[in-house]
Amino acid sequence: MSKIIEIRNVTKEFKVLNRREGLKGSLKDLFSRDYKIVKAVNDISMDIEQGEIVGYLGPNGAGKSTTIKMMTGVLEPTAGEILVNGNAPYKNRSRNAQEIGVVFGQRSQLWWALPLVESFKLLKDIYQIDDKQYNSMLDLYRSLVDIEPLLHKPVRQMSLGQRTLSDILAAFLHDPKIVFLDEPTIGLDVSMKAKIRTLIHALNKEKNTTVILTTHDMGDVDALCRRIVIIDKGRMLYDNDIEHLKGFFGSYRTLKIRIDGDMKEKAEKIHSELPQFSVDSDDEWISVLVDEDKEKVIDVLAGLQKKHDIRDMQLEEISTEEVIKKIYEEGVE
Amino acid sequence: MRLKKYLTLTRAGMIEALQFRLGTVVIVIGNLLYLTVVYFLWKAIYASSGTDVVNGMTFSDTLIYLVLATALFNFMEMYAVWEMGRSIQSGKIVLDLLKPMDYRRLLFWSYSGSFVMNFLTTFLPTFIIVGAVTHGAIPLRLNLLYFAVSVIMAVMINYSIDFFVGTICLFTESIWGINIMKQVVVLLLSGATIPIAFFPEPLKTVVMYMPFQSIYNAPLTLLLDGSPDIEDVLMILGTQLFWCITTTVISKLFWKVSLRQITVNGG
Amino acid sequence: MKRKGFGFYFRIYCKILAQDLKSKMSYRADFIISTIGMICTNIAGFISFWILFRSFPSINGWSYHEMLFLYGFSLVSLTPVQCFFDNNWSLRINVYNGDFIKYCFRPINLFFYYQSEVFDIKGLGQLAFGLGTLIYSWTKIGLALTPLMVLKMILFLLTSSLIMIALQNAAAATCFWIQNSFYVLDLVLKFKDYAKYPITIFSPVFRFIFTFIMPIAFIAYYPSLVILRPDEVPVLSWLSPLIGCVFFWLSYKFWMFGATKYSGTGS
Repeated sequence: MSKIIEIRNVTKEFKVLNRREGLKGSLKDLFSRDYKIVKAVNDISMDIEQGEIVGYLGPNGAGKSTTIKMMTGVLEPTAGEILVNGNAPYKNRSRNAQEIGVVFGQRSQLWWALPLVESFKLLKDIYQIDDKQYNSMLDLYRSLVDIEPLLHKPVRQMSLGQRTLSDILAAFLHDPKIVFLDEPTIGLDVSMKAKIRTLIHALNKEKNTTVILTTHDMGDVDALCRRIVIIDKGRMLYDNDIEHLKGFFGSYRTLKIRIDGDMKEKAEKIHSELPQFSVDSDDEWISVLVDEDKEKVIDVLAGLQKKHDIRDMQLEEISTEEVIKKIYEEGVE
Repeated sequence: MRLKKYLTLTRAGMIEALQFRLGTVVIVIGNLLYLTVVYFLWKAIYASSGTDVVNGMTFSDTLIYLVLATALFNFMEMYAVWEMGRSIQSGKIVLDLLKPMDYRRLLFWSYSGSFVMNFLTTFLPTFIIVGAVTHGAIPLRLNLLYFAVSVIMAVMINYSIDFFVGTICLFTESIWGINIMKQVVVLLLSGATIPIAFFPEPLKTVVMYMPFQSIYNAPLTLLLDGSPDIEDVLMILGTQLFWCITTTVISKLFWKVSLRQITVNGG
Repeated sequence: MKRKGFGFYFRIYCKILAQDLKSKMSYRADFIISTIGMICTNIAGFISFWILFRSFPSINGWSYHEMLFLYGFSLVSLTPVQCFFDNNWSLRINVYNGDFIKYCFRPINLFFYYQSEVFDIKGLGQLAFGLGTLIYSWTKIGLALTPLMVLKMILFLLTSSLIMIALQNAAAATCFWIQNSFYVLDLVLKFKDYAKYPITIFSPVFRFIFTFIMPIAFIAYYPSLVILRPDEVPVLSWLSPLIGCVFFWLSYKFWMFGATKYSGTGS
């Protein structure tokens, strides 16, 4: 295994304009503007091996896309060093682009009016892919997904799912060493999500492509990533195996109960009774995340049973989703 | 109370207009540039004609007319066709249609903020400067009142035409083509770029029967004539009123019919 | 990896162009309406020109047909910017909504990749108008038709084009810094309207401004002098090809600088 990406103490600062509020503020802005410096990424270091799938997580505005932009050579770090495939990406964006593929879940990079196959042919020329590789790649795609109906369809007529699929295929077409996927499953239905995950997994296995995945969907993470990196407010919170992460919260169990009545209302009530635990609700269940170091699940359940008429219950290990949520909320200590 | 919800839009529009600090500067530069070119161009034309009065207008008449026409243009032009076209294409129009306000009115009142701003930042200063520089070549009598009435109708006619053309965007994706057509036709036939007095005879007659001259030619004629016959004034204002009502009704009807057509066909 | 030279880019552009034209054919209505819009614009331009100059045999020493030649020259030289660089008009929107980032990940020149996306076929209509005008006025003036003249003509038309392209690039690139760069682009678009007048109608101060500060005179006037007034060609006319290249290069650098600076902000 070799290191494909090396990030050393990277920081990125932006100058941001402070806008004033209201009509008076706008008038003031006409004459004087004041700026403040924001650290979008603050002293981050990590190494990524060839062939890894890394989940890159963080709440909105955490600095994820800034990091990705630096790795893709679009942005130059304010301080620190990034090496992608041994080179500093921002020093030669073009050369770096040859080695990477990028997919944005919501922004297709394909030619809007062209059928997919024509986009592929243009990419073949742009990336100077030779015929043999191009054909073998198409064969591989055919074996993985049913692309025939897509090939001759203009991108603008595709559904979001088909477009995302096409974008992913396009990103892998020139057999890049690294592919960056930014929320590839956003807005997709369950079966399409599964399809896309399978595809990414297969391409990673087949081509040993490194995949950096940013997402808010923990389903993506569970299905694809062994390693996750979490950042928030520009700082790195966590970088390790997903299992290891769950170990941090080994004492946590999710207690799911079902009560008659409005779930939301009840959940709020329960939260007021158990302020030390986080409480969530969906259509079916009210989930209480219990820290067994503080109180045994059994005791919590017994307490609840006295006040509420519990119809049904389940006990689960902590889910990735909840782990991440806890980390966003309180960090790894 | 009813007015208040519209005034909120006006205020938001004013704030937005202020945000474009550089935009404002660039507009001013653009206008100065245009006026410079116009000044020298007409100077050359008058110089080569050998007479002081061409088609019944002196050099300073023409210049004042064109300067104020430019100021009026900046004040009235609201790119409504673009706005409508774009929101139709992006589907944003659906959200606007859901608002508890008639779309035609919503759009108009959203623009009203920039009307106010533009009136204060472009028309008024231009007017004062022109008045001062030409030492009272612009009469300041009852004509100001006529002008004010006339401008309000001009704004409404202009908006109705815009809205009518914007509605066409429901049927075609070609916003650019439609917009450019409207723009060149309106600018030329309304007398915004060349005073209608300069048009050759048959063209002049044709243009007088069209609604476009009510947008620029009518208010400016009223403004520049210090002692007009009351009959002439009534004639001009009456024509404007006629067009104002006609274009408003037509544009409203067209919008209604088109919208039904589209919703039925699931555009 | 093979080197990416002129041949590489040329091939890619041709392929994109061919594909683009194919897909344009599927938007027939849009194509037709845009073409009509383009024709309208040109006809309105000619009508304005005709109304203004029909009754004057010469203006400031420029005959009617010489003026017409300048007009045609400016139309032809504007064709490339219209055809090949029309995506500059969408730059503002792409930057505003963040879509611009998607252009940054290809292993080819960013400027090229961005501009290659749109080929505006409407420009060809303008080319036809311009060429017609040029040929008409060429014969009316009685200019000789020698290979050298034609060669000069082509060279200086290209020069003019380069300068207009440069101006538009620079104007479009302002959107990387300011919010509403539409006005800047619109201002530069107006330049082309003023380019068709001989610079001698202006006072010395403005001659200087339009030569060195806002180089409008380079869009048609200086280059066309080489053909129109071969006996009194100023140095600036001979220098204009060089100036054109330098301008283009500077505008390209400016555009790219803005693009790299921008990609940082927003998400």
